[in-house]
Amino acid sequence: MRIAIIGFGNLGKGICRAFVDKAEFLRNTHGLIPQVVAVVDEFGAATDEKGLNLSQLLKTAETTGTVAKYPRGKRGKLARDVIEDVNADLVFELTPTNIRTGEPGISHIKGAMQSGKHVITSNKGPLVVAFRELDNLAKRQGVEFRYSASVGGAIPVISLARKLLGGNEISEIRGVLNGTTNYILTRMAAEGAPQDIIIREAQELGYAEKDPSLDIDGIDTACKVTILANSVLGINAKIRDVKRVGIRRITPDATRLAQESGQTIKLVGIAKRGLLEVGPKLVPMGHPLAVSGTLNAVTFELDLAREISIAGYGAGPKETSSSLLGDLLDIHHTLGG
Amino acid sequence: MLVKMVMELEDIPGQLIKSLEPIARFGGNIKSIMHQRERKTPLGRLPVMLIFEVRDKAMLKRILAALKEEGMRVTQLGEREGEVRKIVLLVGHIVHTDIRDTIDQLNSIKGVMVSDLNLAVGSPGRESSARMTITADNKEQVGLAISRLSNIANNKKLLLVTSIEAV
Repeated sequence: MRIAIIGFGNLGKGICRAFVDKAEFLRNTHGLIPQVVAVVDEFGAATDEKGLNLSQLLKTAETTGTVAKYPRGKRGKLARDVIEDVNADLVFELTPTNIRTGEPGISHIKGAMQSGKHVITSNKGPLVVAFRELDNLAKRQGVEFRYSASVGGAIPVISLARKLLGGNEISEIRGVLNGTTNYILTRMAAEGAPQDIIIREAQELGYAEKDPSLDIDGIDTACKVTILANSVLGINAKIRDVKRVGIRRITPDATRLAQESGQTIKLVGIAKRGLLEVGPKLVPMGHPLAVSGTLNAVTFELDLAREISIAGYGAGPKETSSSLLGDLLDIHHTLGG
Repeated sequence: MLVKMVMELEDIPGQLIKSLEPIARFGGNIKSIMHQRERKTPLGRLPVMLIFEVRDKAMLKRILAALKEEGMRVTQLGEREGEVRKIVLLVGHIVHTDIRDTIDQLNSIKGVMVSDLNLAVGSPGRESSARMTITADNKEQVGLAISRLSNIANNKKLLLVTSIEAV
């Protein structure tokens, strides 16, 4: 399969590393030979119709900071030109998230679909802003569209719900969907330290952004609730429909009082018909959602299976490449590969 | 009926099992045990909180007598609790927004009672935190109490943290 990768941050590099490390496994087990013909980052592009040498590309990006320095790479070459011109079957859209405009992700995804290419994305922005539009466009164009990595990182939340649990009616999805806030709450409970100190440490460890408000105000979780509502529950929801409270007001005392009653405070996203909500909740210790550290967890309420829970790593380039690769294999097999 | 009891145990091996044995012997059904090793009393004893079910007052009397005979110190004995309990947290200026009024408003709902309140007062200018146990005769009343509390929290600008578990 001929692949173009738009965006070469942690996730773009992660999927390339997986292609290198697992080349033999993918070929022998799945009959898949991923051939990356174009990679674009913010500075330029590397393209090769015969397939880029990914080890060399990774090294180039690592040492020079851009794929444009790859042999015959072009500085200043734009993603949208590459998407339209390149002879590829599939585009990975892995650029940074903008939850207000969804750009440049939306344009990239539309451009890819309009030129007949399948799309896999991890980018929450386009899904939050324009889920229906993109989903319909994919159907009209007869291309496959997958976005497993947008919710739950490595945990196959969306594909579990849509495929393996497809015979169930899902009445509610609840989840710990943000690793940063879970890390902060876990440490507050363990150490009784104030939130601002733990946030500072989380920033130093790279678990929290310089501006942590997307995480701690629950906006990231609200994005994921919106995506789950649209993709799994079929609710035509926007992020403004999600009732949202973050964790800013959670005190060390509150985490202690919770613990003393055998419970723990988690930032939980809830999606069901009539209620989309993000807020701190009391979770009994031992409950499937009482995961610690940066872990994520999701529980589905179902008519047949009653309750299914799944937990795992919600972030990280290697972990998330599991979801990206899963989507690729899903498309590969859907197309008869 | 449900009984909530706090005992203080000597910090020597075998005390916990010794404290539970009389409850089981007289037919009490233990629902939960919270043994808090890190919360020693000034006299070096360890508090253990038990919730157990007894058939009637007579059964409870026999259990208490047996515990006394074993030399166990019962420091708190809870009243008969309602059928349904719900624990919530509140964060904010809980005291200054008249905690008495908050509790009274909940207690005014028929069959609802605020049965426990743990308050951690914040340092000056900071928000306080509280854990509140609401007991009620049935699920509907607890639901009613939570939605009333949610309104109160809104008006008093308190953060209400409820359980993810359905009532």
